[in-house]
Amino acid sequence: MSPAVDALPAGIEACDCLTPLGDATATAAALLAGRRALQLCPVLGAAGGDPVPLALCGPMDESVPPRWLPALRRLVATIPGDRWGTARRPLIVTSSNYGVGSLYAFTRDRDPRHLRHGTPFACVEMLQREFGWGETVNLVSHACVSAHLGLVQAARLLGAGLADRVLVVTFDFVSPFVAGGFHSLKILNASLPAPYAVRATGSIGLGDGAAYAVLTRDATPFRLEAHTLYNEMHHFTGNRPDGAGFDACAAAIAGPARGRRVWIKGHGTGTLEAGRLEAEAYARHLPRAPLVSWKGSLGHTLGSCGLVELAIALASLRAGRIPGTVGGEAPCCTDSVALGEFASVGYDGAILSSNAFGGAHAAMLLAHA
Amino acid sequence: MSDPLNARLKQLIVQTLRLKDVMPEDILDHEPLFGAARFDLDSIDALELVLRLEKEFGIKIGTSEEARQALATVATLAAFIRAGNPAAPPAPPP
Repeated sequence: MSPAVDALPAGIEACDCLTPLGDATATAAALLAGRRALQLCPVLGAAGGDPVPLALCGPMDESVPPRWLPALRRLVATIPGDRWGTARRPLIVTSSNYGVGSLYAFTRDRDPRHLRHGTPFACVEMLQREFGWGETVNLVSHACVSAHLGLVQAARLLGAGLADRVLVVTFDFVSPFVAGGFHSLKILNASLPAPYAVRATGSIGLGDGAAYAVLTRDATPFRLEAHTLYNEMHHFTGNRPDGAGFDACAAAIAGPARGRRVWIKGHGTGTLEAGRLEAEAYARHLPRAPLVSWKGSLGHTLGSCGLVELAIALASLRAGRIPGTVGGEAPCCTDSVALGEFASVGYDGAILSSNAFGGAHAAMLLAHA
Repeated sequence: MSDPLNARLKQLIVQTLRLKDVMPEDILDHEPLFGAARFDLDSIDALELVLRLEKEFGIKIGTSEEARQALATVATLAAFIRAGNPAAPPAPPP
């Protein structure tokens, strides 16, 4: 079954992110300079453990208040003011983790204050109080396509005339619980990731990230033109080995991209099989489009990656230079992988791809003049 | 002569992965463990098995590719453990 394409244009009125390299503009500039935010750190934070690549905004250990709150304060201060969380200005909060690391912290030190932000609802209630947001808030959590789904939902609310502006906020901060989980799977190991590289062993990095976007029906210089989602329902940590899920998603988003000159911001975490399947699928359906991944520098910001990387893409387009695959290395699994930066002039669109546990594949078409 | 490490590994596999209708002695030394319809194991089973092996034998499996190679069969697993832990029971003479 082929996935449907959701052709619901939504204007991007404002968008920014926060990574260990700074806001979207600073992060894009650092990526252009080839900087890696990832550093080898103990997988369990203060408790030690094997060194693994993490890109952190500060010490990883759980704290009270949660360590993501000061970061979100800085980010939220840049959001255009409005009555967010009201009927015509709904808010969508996405994350794959929310405060799950705090639940783990509670099991270790029994400090009940961790529970104040240990669940998605508790996290969002904390944010509502902190930022004065209203009650019209949707929570989305679907592993590493969470932010993508939040953007889709926002576009649908606008398309249905149910909202005038929608604020999508996302955050995922690494915790010992999350890092330990990926380390158990051995895909978070002592090597720095090299997305789309042909090499003997794969590895990912994990990174802190938060971002927001204000979507509107108004005409804006940048807009989300179309989305597609596909869940291959194969296995919750594995993709179909024939790449059918990646192929279906790439084929679907290639439709609305036809007639445009696009580049592709891939998911590219650094795992071998998924990276190859993604690169091959896009090379098949959009053979002239250069493919980049930024997770070799920023690590994987999990459920937030779709929006964090959208913000970086917008900042890159404003600067006129698209960062290459930082941390990548030749040989690559397809000729379309761009290791170096390139000029955005001549392109009028970008495909932004995200994939997730559960075999979820998502892509959106970002259109620009 | 049977290899005591192989026998222990077969026990661990059946116990850890809660295999139904499979007795440890039914598993052949060179039989593929993953991808075989008989066992129907997946990456989460691999995760559970690796954690148990690391704990019991004091070995380290560094990457998912290393895990895939080590867990190919009981024989490859035994060889991996012996390479990483000199205290593991030696292989019987051929």
